[in-house]
Amino acid sequence: MSDYLLEVNNLCKRFPIKGGLFGREVGHVNAVNNVSFKIKRGETLGLVGESGCGKTTLGRSVLRLIEPTSGEIIFNGENIVNYDKNKMRELRRKMQIIFQDPYASLNPRMTVGNILAEPMEIHGLNTDKAARKKRLLELLDQVQLPSDALNKYPHEFSGGQRQRVCIARALAVEPEFIICDEPVSALDVSVQAQVVNLLMDLQKDLGLTYLFIAHDLKVVEYISSRVAVMYLGNMVEVAESSELYGNAKHPYTKALFSAIPKPDPNLNKERIILEGDIPSPMNPPSGCHFHPRCWLASDECRSSYPNSTNQSETHQYKCHNPL
Amino acid sequence: MSDKILEVKDLKVEFKTDNGIVTAVNGVNIEVYKGKTLGIVGESGSGKSVTALSIMGLIPSPPGNVAGGEIIYRGKNVLDIPTDEMRTIRGNKIAMIFQEPMTSLNPVFTVGNQIEEVLALHQKELTKQDRKDKVIEMLSLVGIPSPEKRANEYPHQLSGGMRQRVMIAISLACRPDILIADEPTTALDVTIQAQILELMKKLQEEIGMGIIFITHDLGVVAEMCDDVAVMYCGQIVERADVKTLFNRSRHPYTKGLIESIPSFDSTLGETRERLPTIEGMVPSLQNLPTGCNFQDRCDFATDICKGQNGDPLLEKYGSDEHMIRCFNPLS
Repeated sequence: MSDYLLEVNNLCKRFPIKGGLFGREVGHVNAVNNVSFKIKRGETLGLVGESGCGKTTLGRSVLRLIEPTSGEIIFNGENIVNYDKNKMRELRRKMQIIFQDPYASLNPRMTVGNILAEPMEIHGLNTDKAARKKRLLELLDQVQLPSDALNKYPHEFSGGQRQRVCIARALAVEPEFIICDEPVSALDVSVQAQVVNLLMDLQKDLGLTYLFIAHDLKVVEYISSRVAVMYLGNMVEVAESSELYGNAKHPYTKALFSAIPKPDPNLNKERIILEGDIPSPMNPPSGCHFHPRCWLASDECRSSYPNSTNQSETHQYKCHNPL
Repeated sequence: MSDKILEVKDLKVEFKTDNGIVTAVNGVNIEVYKGKTLGIVGESGSGKSVTALSIMGLIPSPPGNVAGGEIIYRGKNVLDIPTDEMRTIRGNKIAMIFQEPMTSLNPVFTVGNQIEEVLALHQKELTKQDRKDKVIEMLSLVGIPSPEKRANEYPHQLSGGMRQRVMIAISLACRPDILIADEPTTALDVTIQAQILELMKKLQEEIGMGIIFITHDLGVVAEMCDDVAVMYCGQIVERADVKTLFNRSRHPYTKGLIESIPSFDSTLGETRERLPTIEGMVPSLQNLPTGCNFQDRCDFATDICKGQNGDPLLEKYGSDEHMIRCFNPLS
């Protein structure tokens, strides 16, 4: 087995735009454009970017919850893009997802016990009643919920507790890989820290691998070993967290970091404020998609899309005029 | 101290629910000064938005009810002002920006129309042409490119950041004395948030209004505010100027909030420490403990916090304007 649990090569997802009287395809949106990355076993890759940059689409394409248009997804050494439905279902035991909104992702009519038992039933795990009960209690213990939670309904819990239920549900089938799609952005600050700690503890105890999607750079930076930055469907920079913070090469990464409000009133704030909005992905700017907002843009940036440059083995960026 | 334009004294707001009366705001005191920004921080349900809505006279009644206290604006108690007169103040002298720029604009009117509406209501001396000019002036003031064209567009044609700029233009059209901003950047991306915060600071310098800035993001507080009030379960637990609050917070809750934000330095190096957290969760407002509301989550709680000598009061700490509500303040 290789070091890498997941390898994604040139993944593309293109959504058609339908228009006109007959609903013909009048264009398309490249939500994810030629994205490649690798995740090592037991590692956390963070994925950041502004809304609409394609990070959620990328996460879901990796699980094939959205069918990718082209590209390879190699999980445990096997290309899963052409797996059929049954094989894919089997595989999903190994790859799970935690969604952003713990209010919308739990069925309000099911008790927590049933919610947690459902994935086991689908995958035929712990069919023996006593074993299942034992496993359910073990799961609740892992996410630090009291055992009487089993017979309660989701509305009886707070946001943070519901997110713990979602985490327990993902853990129920003993996955190797979990995609966390903005798992803490709907939570209050004090609860957010609890859930981040829980995710980190579980990773250590169970040897999990995470793809951690968020727009909050502080949280991503904290939890991830490496971070990838996306802009308009493209991955513009990947590096180890500390390297990315201290030595960003792409101007967009730099601007993103400088835009975060720092909780320290004594700091002298010199920040880069990007002009304008994110362009529409339906009609992206020519050349480097970032050039209309970039203060370093040159003629080259307007005409050609930059190739990936290796700064070091772990640090890649796509920019004509790196910092 | 500079001019005080608004003072909220001992405000108490109750809501009737099926399970009895819930006190959402319990004895809040705040002051707003000309050209200064007061931050109100707290988790969801701490009463920060309800405080803001009572200042605007917008508490839905029933089920809501301002049960006590005074809100003094220009020597008058806002709570005693008749509805008609309140209408001439609201949106004119005291304006508000809401969290969701998507839902707070009317989708069937152009943005120019919506800015004009405020002017038509509050500045009746303006002619139609004056108003049109003013709309363009406001749109360019908030940094919207080609304002003549944008004035004729509908909200759905604008991005989130642009909509929030329009909201700011509407609220500032009458040059208010006080601007209440209720989580104005929570729904926006960080790069757009930076633009909007910068804009609000610039406009405050120009117009000189006092801002009440409600947020749960302490980073934003550090950037924007002069004074800060931290709320927990409907009460202010700590109040200080921004530097004191971040450097020398004395309430365990404030300290916990500040520490639970991941900072970039903490990730440098191999050993990743666990984030300090505040254990447990916010108690239900219907079932508050006697004594200090924070006792169950506090590492420093002692018997006195259980309320044997009554509830903790918001008291001066040291010589400056620093106030805390705690029996066992941090040293």
